[in-house]
Amino acid sequence: MTVLSVKVNGTTHTIDVDPAMPLLWVLRDELGLTGTKYGCGIEVCGACTVWIDGSPEKSCHLEVKEVTSVSITTIEEVGNVSAKAAAVQKAFVDVQAPQCGYCQPGMIMRCAKLLSSSTKPSDASIDAAIGNVCACGTYPRVRAAVKKAAGQ
Amino acid sequence: MAGALVVFALEQSALSGAGKAFAAVSSGPVAVTGWIAVNPDNTVTVGFGGAEMGQGISTGLAQAAAEELMVDWSQVRTESVAPSKSYITGGSWGVRANFAKLRTAGAQAREMLRTAAAARWGVDPGACTVAAGVVTNSITGQTSTFADLAADAAAVPPPAAPALTDPSRFRIVGTTTPRLDLPGKVTGAARFGIDVRVPGMVFAAIKNCPTFGGTVSTTPATPSGCIAVVNLGGAVAVVARNTWTALRGAANLSVSWTTPAGASAMTSSTILAQAGTLMTSGTAGSPVAEKIGDAATAYTNAATKVEATYQLPYLPHVMMEVPNCTVSLTRDASGKVTAAEVWVPTQAPAWVVGTVTGLTGLTAGDVTVHTTLLGGGLGRKIEQDYVAQAVRVAQALRQPVQLVWSREEDLSHDQYRPMALVRVRLGADAQQNLTAYQSRIVTPSPLYQRGWIPATGNDNVDGAAGLSYAIPNKIVEYVRHPSAVPVGFWRSVGESINCFAVESALDELALRTGADPVAMHTALLAKNPRGAAVVAAAAEGLGWSTPPVSTPVTAVSGNGTAVTYTTSAAHGFVVGQTVCISGLVPTAFNKAGAVVTAVPDPTHFTIAGTTTGAATTSGSVTGVGRGLAYSEGFGSLSALALEITLPAPKTVKVTRVACAVDCGLAVNPGQVEAQLQGGIIQGISAALWGQTTFASGRASSRNFSNTRVLRMRETPPITVRIVPSGLGNLGGIGEVGVPLPAPAIANAYARLTGTRIRTLPFFPGAGMGE
Repeated sequence: MTVLSVKVNGTTHTIDVDPAMPLLWVLRDELGLTGTKYGCGIEVCGACTVWIDGSPEKSCHLEVKEVTSVSITTIEEVGNVSAKAAAVQKAFVDVQAPQCGYCQPGMIMRCAKLLSSSTKPSDASIDAAIGNVCACGTYPRVRAAVKKAAGQ
Repeated sequence: MAGALVVFALEQSALSGAGKAFAAVSSGPVAVTGWIAVNPDNTVTVGFGGAEMGQGISTGLAQAAAEELMVDWSQVRTESVAPSKSYITGGSWGVRANFAKLRTAGAQAREMLRTAAAARWGVDPGACTVAAGVVTNSITGQTSTFADLAADAAAVPPPAAPALTDPSRFRIVGTTTPRLDLPGKVTGAARFGIDVRVPGMVFAAIKNCPTFGGTVSTTPATPSGCIAVVNLGGAVAVVARNTWTALRGAANLSVSWTTPAGASAMTSSTILAQAGTLMTSGTAGSPVAEKIGDAATAYTNAATKVEATYQLPYLPHVMMEVPNCTVSLTRDASGKVTAAEVWVPTQAPAWVVGTVTGLTGLTAGDVTVHTTLLGGGLGRKIEQDYVAQAVRVAQALRQPVQLVWSREEDLSHDQYRPMALVRVRLGADAQQNLTAYQSRIVTPSPLYQRGWIPATGNDNVDGAAGLSYAIPNKIVEYVRHPSAVPVGFWRSVGESINCFAVESALDELALRTGADPVAMHTALLAKNPRGAAVVAAAAEGLGWSTPPVSTPVTAVSGNGTAVTYTTSAAHGFVVGQTVCISGLVPTAFNKAGAVVTAVPDPTHFTIAGTTTGAATTSGSVTGVGRGLAYSEGFGSLSALALEITLPAPKTVKVTRVACAVDCGLAVNPGQVEAQLQGGIIQGISAALWGQTTFASGRASSRNFSNTRVLRMRETPPITVRIVPSGLGNLGGIGEVGVPLPAPAIANAYARLTGTRIRTLPFFPGAGMGE
């Protein structure tokens, strides 16, 4: 166990954890931020996606000791710090994208970043950027939500 | 009317527990009935007795109540009721089995509110109108809100048969009202089972015996950093202060297991060989699920015959939220458990109560179950295995505990969609009319494995038996396969097996007779105009009457090792793509399933081939295969037409899908579309890649590394046409889309390549990675 500091959603938290604990579980079990989800634990499905200094990263293998000097943003706060993210969240509701909803926080974190770097993404660029797994098959509406958020 | 009275009686008995009906009734809301509460802000909360696992039924059922309650949709909330009023969510029964109940509940509450207002004003209830949660005295113009009236209304006897709104005047049912559960799902606020946090809780990770049926021989020592190891007989649980430590402890734990005697028989090759033997031998004593006429004689006498055996794999469920369950036990001073509180993503809350009482000796009244949101259920979360494990870990501890399965435990200890062999025989007369249909289904039975049906019962015949196809002689036989691999209910259950076999066999016959698949289905559905209408709608949605995109071939040149084709326009093919060439003379230049080996320029392509010389006529080439399938599952009728390409070896790309469904009345058309799209996407994944194999009782599936599902970039456009036939035909939706893609893809593949795929998945062993 080691005392570390992590800056999450603008607040610096001091935690006493195994420094190898992945950020995912620090968020969920130490900080109570359960919006970020466990899906596979092998960095494939993307349910655990957060922003590290504004870039989407899977957090299920990201050891907490590696993120003590960065700014971490989660689904709980992203809409307050990014107008693009807020637009994506609204668009997900507008097009009624979520079904079970479990993968959607990770999807939204990824989609919001896409809009930050590409204001009018094509279908191909959306497909290339969003590799997140959704077992409900919300993909057609997620694609529609990204376009709606982009004003397309 | 008798039905309405029964509903009323049930509602009355539920009312006695109205205070407990809602999971968290604060001092504010007033329960007018067991299903309807009015909140101080004049919103209404509609009780929800099912599992919200993405299919939107908490919204659909609230629509039914809100319609009759005469409130605006913006006034509607929903909340889970207690397990005593809950129902199993499965079989696509959620809306179709509960719509009338919630509709009646809404009407009852409306009449109670109206009666309360009338009494207050001293007028006849008929003089009071209700709209937008406000009762108006039509004589004086006085108004009163539901919130004002709720306490009085709760004391009014519920009417047995409240007037119901004529469906032609529905304002909310039949419209795409926004789902009630979505706002929290985009902000991280939504709480799934795995998100439950209870003061003082610890976390447990499961390590099941890698071999099904095996047991722990010695309880291992508690790993460093963990709190405890609990021996559960067939598994151990590692308890820690956080999920990750528990998961890591369980994954790295060395456990000595006792392997069951029969483990070696749980091997895929052995199971398949047994199934093959049963296919030949297994009719004696096997149940006949359907028998009309004399199918054997009709088949013998048929002018055209198809006999084919289709093989389907065991399938894991792959819901995004792994199994998990949180349990808090209350103990008295002696340590005896006196009450239990459970938070669990479950499709069967009443069964959870039974699981808890069975393990603890508590009575149902001492057990509180909170059904959380489910991060997917797909049939897996009807099971009680993970619930029982969590309860037993909690019994061994003195703290609340959340038990979580890793993804690896989930996929390797699922209760799988059973494997199956299905042999279909079809016979047609000289006029191409189908005269004989035989299905023999050899498959393990989830129902028998649980002791729910006798040895003479049948299972998994849905999609084979009871079809409305106009065939005068039919027989459907079920042959139970005794394999010990745990099997369960996978979204669309037997339909997922038999739709593939039946719709593939029909297509094989169509290819033999030259019949158009749409025309064949239309003829077969002569006595089922609703079915014929959905086939027509799906065909129209795809543009079936226009042939698949093709390019004219104007010249051919073969040199003995390769054949180069000249097209009149850009063909658009890439090297490695599979194409179908037709119409040329000599016919040796025609080939289905030809693989492009070179593309010298946009109007030439080359394939391997020994035919020499040149063609004497023009032909055409296409890279597109087209297929159709039809299904009658879950009280709904559905059809799907799609197109595929094979852009590279071992790659099937579904390029567009058109689906049509008649579910009677689409309570929420937007959700019908979403469920069909999602079901079709799951069906495509299963057809192309889905399977679990077994070696001496150990499952192959581990994680997404060897379990592939469709991603966005592989997802085709999917159109959904709703063909309405009225509230009287209300059918299910959640599972309807799943069975259709597999046969449609196989049928398209056969047309493009000339090869019939009778064994699923198309590409075994596929995994995913970034």
